[in-house]
Amino acid sequence: MRAPVVDVQNLVKWYGPRLAVRDVSFSVAEGEVVGLLGPNGSGKSTIFRILTGYLVPTSGSAAVAGRDATTESLALRHQVGYVPEDAPLYDHMRVNEHLQFMANLKGLFGRSATLAIGTVAERLQLQTMAQVPVGKLSRGYRQRVAIGQALLNDPKLLIFDEPTSGLDPSQVIAIRDLIRELAGKRTVLMASHVLPEIEQIANRVMILLNGRLLTTDALAQAVDGQRLRLQVAGPEPMVREAIAAVPGVRSIVLEPESGGSGLRYLVEADQRPEVAQELAAALVGRGLALSELTTVRPDLERIFLQLTRQPSEAAA
Amino acid sequence: MRQFLTLLAKEEKALFTSPIAYVLIAVFLLIMGYSFTLALFVSHTMTLVHMFFQIFTLFLLTVPIITMRLIAEERKLRTMEVLLTSPVTETRIVLAKFAASMSLILLMLILSAAYPIVLAIYGDPDWGPIFSGYLGLVLFAGALVGVGLLTSALTNNQIIAALLSLSIFLLLWIIDEYGHILPDPFDSLLVNMSLSVHFKPFATGSLYLTDVAYFLSAAMLSLFLSVRALAWR
Repeated sequence: MRAPVVDVQNLVKWYGPRLAVRDVSFSVAEGEVVGLLGPNGSGKSTIFRILTGYLVPTSGSAAVAGRDATTESLALRHQVGYVPEDAPLYDHMRVNEHLQFMANLKGLFGRSATLAIGTVAERLQLQTMAQVPVGKLSRGYRQRVAIGQALLNDPKLLIFDEPTSGLDPSQVIAIRDLIRELAGKRTVLMASHVLPEIEQIANRVMILLNGRLLTTDALAQAVDGQRLRLQVAGPEPMVREAIAAVPGVRSIVLEPESGGSGLRYLVEADQRPEVAQELAAALVGRGLALSELTTVRPDLERIFLQLTRQPSEAAA
Repeated sequence: MRQFLTLLAKEEKALFTSPIAYVLIAVFLLIMGYSFTLALFVSHTMTLVHMFFQIFTLFLLTVPIITMRLIAEERKLRTMEVLLTSPVTETRIVLAKFAASMSLILLMLILSAAYPIVLAIYGDPDWGPIFSGYLGLVLFAGALVGVGLLTSALTNNQIIAALLSLSIFLLLWIIDEYGHILPDPFDSLLVNMSLSVHFKPFATGSLYLTDVAYFLSAAMLSLFLSVRALAWR
């Protein structure tokens, strides 16, 4: 088995008297795109700052590509491309100057720097902005420069901290597409408090609350019950009666856009695998035509809201 | 080394694209020109001693303005996060900032060389005290820039950094005044901490190793502490 690109074990970080990260452990395999989801102040940025060598953990360990964040901080920084939240950049530098500066810091000089800058500028469509001072760029282009500098030395791991915060909708789409495109070849860690964003880009999501990573068990507990979508032809009262007769059904809602050959119902029921079968049997047994029966995937947003509303219970 | 030069170039650009450097140079030259001319015409003496003491005072007041933004600003704007998540050591960052600030100081001193040149054209000045005076000013400025850099590393508020370094400078300037009234060994301890006590011999043409060591060790200690302050996060 190949070693994970990111390996975090029992990570703890105190800021003075405040515990920001509590015993967090996770790993990210090569090529994986992992989303870190959590409300503001949940510890996402702290974990990222440790993984980029900017902060030193109080205890525990964090490593990228086998380089330890505490003992091999410089070597680790060569492996990570980091796009911090709000894209802090040197406003007085022109775009190409900034990229040149960052390339030099990352150990690229001369032709290799020119080549890397050219590739990145082309990929991020920054060529027309090369001579514009960073301070005069739009928020979207600023973010592109921040992403560009992270890509210069072709790092093993890319870290994006709230990459679309403060962008207008069209810029959000452009940056999301860009990250998705970049994610194809690289290992990516991305933090956001915007759920759809994480859901669209990441192939695995971790939820962080009060500095603690929620376990799969905690998430399963949070997914209280299941939701099923049914399309049934027949009189509505009869359908409702048939559905309600199945043990474990909690609520039946008629979906507003339903129509045509049958009505669509959204059924909430207990988390029991047999519910779907029993629903089908009950409807068909009453002679009602069932044309669709699907399980609605647990909605991350629902889970997230549920968890963030009761942080103390959820994190326990 | 190339990485250090990259950082140095960035610091130089930041320093010389801001109007502060030019205003400081202009104010420095204006005050120096005024006092040099006045002193020369009134006293008719071929000496720069008074000028060195004036530069000493001007540096005490202006170095905090040069150094206050060095780290505090980068912390506040979070560009320090960009620097320190790149493969760069804190030592290189601190040394580049130190070297860039010293370059502005050296530029001011080079421009002030117009005065000894004027003296050389119209007379025959004693070059010994002039060279020692300039050496003293460079060493003195090194210590001030070091301390200024340290105070900038301790806060992300530029004004607080400036006030802090200014307070330290003023205290170390006058510390010997009251040192004499203290019992032994505190009197010599305080007197030996004084900036002016260690600078005076340079300005008057005497060169003592203790004075050189005082300024060098102050600069090195504050640079070391600045690196530690930057690494402590």
